Amino acid sequence: MSSIPKKTPQRANLLQGTLDMLILRTLLYGPAHGHHIGKHIQRTTNDFLQMQHGSLYPALHRLEQRGWVASKWETAPDRNREFKYYRLTEKGRKQLVVEESQWKQMADAVARVMWPPAEES
Amino acid sequence: MRWWQLKKRNADLERELQSDLDLEEEEQRENGLPPEEARYAARRAFGNLTLIREQTHEAWGWAALEHFAQDIRYGVRQLTRAPAFTITAVFILALGIGGVTAVFSLIDAVLLRMLPVEKPEQLVEFKAINPAFPVNDSFSYTAFKSLQGQAQAMAGALAFRKLGNVDLEVDGRGGLAAGQLVSGSFFSVLGVGAARGRTLLPADENAAVPTPVAVIGYDYWRTRFALDPDIVGKHVLVNNVPFTIVGVTKPEFYGVQPGEKVEVSIPLTMVGSVLPGFANVGGPADALKAPFRNWLHVMGRLQDGVTRERATASLEPVFAQCMRGAAASLAGTPVDSPAVRRAYLNFRLSLEPGSQGLSALRRQFSKPLWIVMAIVGLLLLITCANVANLLLARANAREKEVAMRLALGAGKGRLVRQLLTESILPGLGGGVVGMGLAYWGNSLLLAMMTRGRSPVSLSASPDLKVLAFALAVSLLTALVFGTIPAWRAADVDPSRGLAKNARNSTALSTRSRLGKSLVVLQAAISLVLVVGAGLLARSLTNLKGFYPGFVRENVLLFSVDPTVIGKNDVVPIYEQLLTRLRIIPGVRLASLSVHEPLTTNMSTTALKVRDAAPGQQDDLAPVNVEPVGPDYFATMGTALFRGRDFSSSDRSGSTKVAVVSEALARHYFCNADPIGRLVSIPGFVGDSSWIQIVGETRDIKFHDLRETDALVLYLPLFQLPEGGATFEVRTALDPAFVQNTALDAVRSLDPRMPVHSVKTLDSQLDDSLAQERLVGSLPGVFAGLALLLTSVGLYGLMAYTVNRRTSEIGIRMALGADRGQVARMVLRETLLLVVGGLVVGLPVAFFASRLIASQLFQIKPWDPITFLGACALMMVATMAASYIPARRAASIDPLQALRTE
Repeated sequence: MSSIPKKTPQRANLLQGTLDMLILRTLLYGPAHGHHIGKHIQRTTNDFLQMQHGSLYPALHRLEQRGWVASKWETAPDRNREFKYYRLTEKGRKQLVVEESQWKQMADAVARVMWPPAEES
Repeated sequence: MRWWQLKKRNADLERELQSDLDLEEEEQRENGLPPEEARYAARRAFGNLTLIREQTHEAWGWAALEHFAQDIRYGVRQLTRAPAFTITAVFILALGIGGVTAVFSLIDAVLLRMLPVEKPEQLVEFKAINPAFPVNDSFSYTAFKSLQGQAQAMAGALAFRKLGNVDLEVDGRGGLAAGQLVSGSFFSVLGVGAARGRTLLPADENAAVPTPVAVIGYDYWRTRFALDPDIVGKHVLVNNVPFTIVGVTKPEFYGVQPGEKVEVSIPLTMVGSVLPGFANVGGPADALKAPFRNWLHVMGRLQDGVTRERATASLEPVFAQCMRGAAASLAGTPVDSPAVRRAYLNFRLSLEPGSQGLSALRRQFSKPLWIVMAIVGLLLLITCANVANLLLARANAREKEVAMRLALGAGKGRLVRQLLTESILPGLGGGVVGMGLAYWGNSLLLAMMTRGRSPVSLSASPDLKVLAFALAVSLLTALVFGTIPAWRAADVDPSRGLAKNARNSTALSTRSRLGKSLVVLQAAISLVLVVGAGLLARSLTNLKGFYPGFVRENVLLFSVDPTVIGKNDVVPIYEQLLTRLRIIPGVRLASLSVHEPLTTNMSTTALKVRDAAPGQQDDLAPVNVEPVGPDYFATMGTALFRGRDFSSSDRSGSTKVAVVSEALARHYFCNADPIGRLVSIPGFVGDSSWIQIVGETRDIKFHDLRETDALVLYLPLFQLPEGGATFEVRTALDPAFVQNTALDAVRSLDPRMPVHSVKTLDSQLDDSLAQERLVGSLPGVFAGLALLLTSVGLYGLMAYTVNRRTSEIGIRMALGADRGQVARMVLRETLLLVVGGLVVGLPVAFFASRLIASQLFQIKPWDPITFLGACALMMVATMAASYIPARRAASIDPLQALRTE
């Protein structure tokens, strides 16, 4: 029998939401498979976001369940094998816009607290 | 995503993970790592694969279902690994669930099921309520016609009267059929169609000359006519009157009285032809014209949206009008009296739900069936306790496994859920086996309810409702017996549970405390059942051994009605028949009466006494008038206190005489000798001439054995010849030996003479005891089962306790306790448990026996002998159960016991 350990709170939730946004943004460049997406995020952030690739899959499946991405098995151009490619749907594009603006608001709000603009003399 | 795509989805995920993992590995290799290390690096980069799978599954939203399926797979594996436990649990549960289901399906068939007609919920049954009468559900034809015309409340009304068995002759061959007279609206109001031909129509009833047409039931078409395709148009004789069959009703229709069947229906306006004596056509009590002749059951269909209350209110004036007419029409008839008129004027109309039809069966069996239901319910509770105890013992065996899982990080809730699933499986297994038992038990129950009476046609085959009930009971049972053990099992401290010697953990002691309280509960419930069963069984014995005022053995009964074949002068026929019957070898005595013994259709009237003691004249205690033939009391074996039996010289023209019952003498003559006193019954015979009392008999229980002694006035049948009569033939041996000869004697008078209701007095009596038999013997069986299960439970607990305390007992013995002391110790513990059960059970039993008081006969609900006997029985049974564990305890070898420690 297996059991599910409880998720670590708060931080995981924040990361989860962020992860969704990052995945959607990555797919804006075109269809990609899970490994691809993981590598891309890792590379772009200069390995700052050291995530385990595994955590991508639940997120990908969740996004697919919600209809934000669609998947298809396709042969990779450089390898002679099929991979599961994810593609952004129209609904996903809209969602990305929403999440992006939310994230911006949040970042602005945090920034305003952390680094208050210098008072004009 | 749908759940049936899960499997495909899962394969897809596996493929995806594998392909990406392979890619990662390739890349690592390309980076220059050796293959082995590349694989490990890839796995590291990926993280916990199982976790990924589970989290992904959760993202699909079917996690709960998947876990459930997982639990079931695991549960099945666990159960197949412990077959002894599984079989025991399933069997025990099957007993409980099967019992409850069997009784429920019977309750469903008798009490709950709706009539198989169109929109049964719109049907209402008409009743005339009068506080002075126990129940009256019959109406006159004129009243029915007036009520039928009230279209604003009723979409339609129907009337019918059961004919009992009629003689139905096909192609010169006679045979009995259950018949009914119906209004032309009967089938259309019910919405019952024809399988062949047509049903009866209003025109059949209302024609100036009623049409002799008949509709037969599907079953009868099958059994009597072998589904003859040319049935429509066939000519038959019903009580020697020619009829034409015009149709066959749909197979599912059996009449409006559950449990009784209708084989042939004819228009009620034909009553004058098939029952000339009863119909009294042209006479003052013409069944179709006299407003005071109440003989029809009436049902109606409410208009859409009309409530019963509104319909009653709108019909009430019409009904009152009818009753006033009925009272007025009494004028000049022999039954007229102020009391009778008052009775008519006091009737109030009442409409009752008719969706389940009218059922004498329902009235008779509703209380007994609920009692039996309560009993099997308690039995089910005992089985739950038993299985719970089994699970507790098993939980002990699995403690290490559970501790291991907790240590590995299993959540307690998840663990409880899984253990519960495991208990649901035997619950369902028990349900399935129980359904089988119920199916078999059902026919047994039906046989018990109906022995002696005409076959009851109830479809007792389990339908969807019963299946749903059984399923619900199984699941509920599983929850009841599974919850506590599951919580207990998961309540393990992993560090302790995994320790090598878990025998003395505290969880264990609370567990055995729980086991003990379960046994106490079982003992308490068993006591209640044993007491109840004892009381009911002793009532049944009392009823059977009770002297009803006649000797029940070796009496053959059959009924004839010469008026049906046009012979209205019945006395010479009856005398001739008596002579022929008496010369049959094996026949000792023969007599006749107007009514069958132990039936309810007797005429009731008030008695007038000449020279009565002051103050008695106004007392209108109803008297049953029973016309009987010569030698009636000798034939029935009824003792005469004083005076003489009727003889063949008591005939019309001779002095009018009567024999009274003890109770009548007590009431009207204050225990004084009634012989020679004069009475008159103007309400019954229509003239007020005086009748001389010539004898006094012991009381006879007429309607049923429970009734208070009825006041009976016997009159010589030959002084007031009526239509049909029932013959009583007392034989030296089994009546079956003379039955055919006796019936031949009837036919030798006239081959067309219809004979019906051939049976023995014994079976007639059995008939009236059907419900007592049901509640008298079934509880005994269930109480026996309860006792057995309790004993087994106790045995299990004690065996377990002894096993657990082996080392302690070893020490005791090493310190000098002898074997007797050890055995006594175990027995003492058992005794404590049982006494605990008795202490809890006795007050409940006292209360419960009060509830069944109405079912008891000549025994008090708190009968001390039954209570003491039940307690003693419990003691003996449970002590016997603990004998083996006690012996095992006594035979423990102290050396060995201590070495294992």
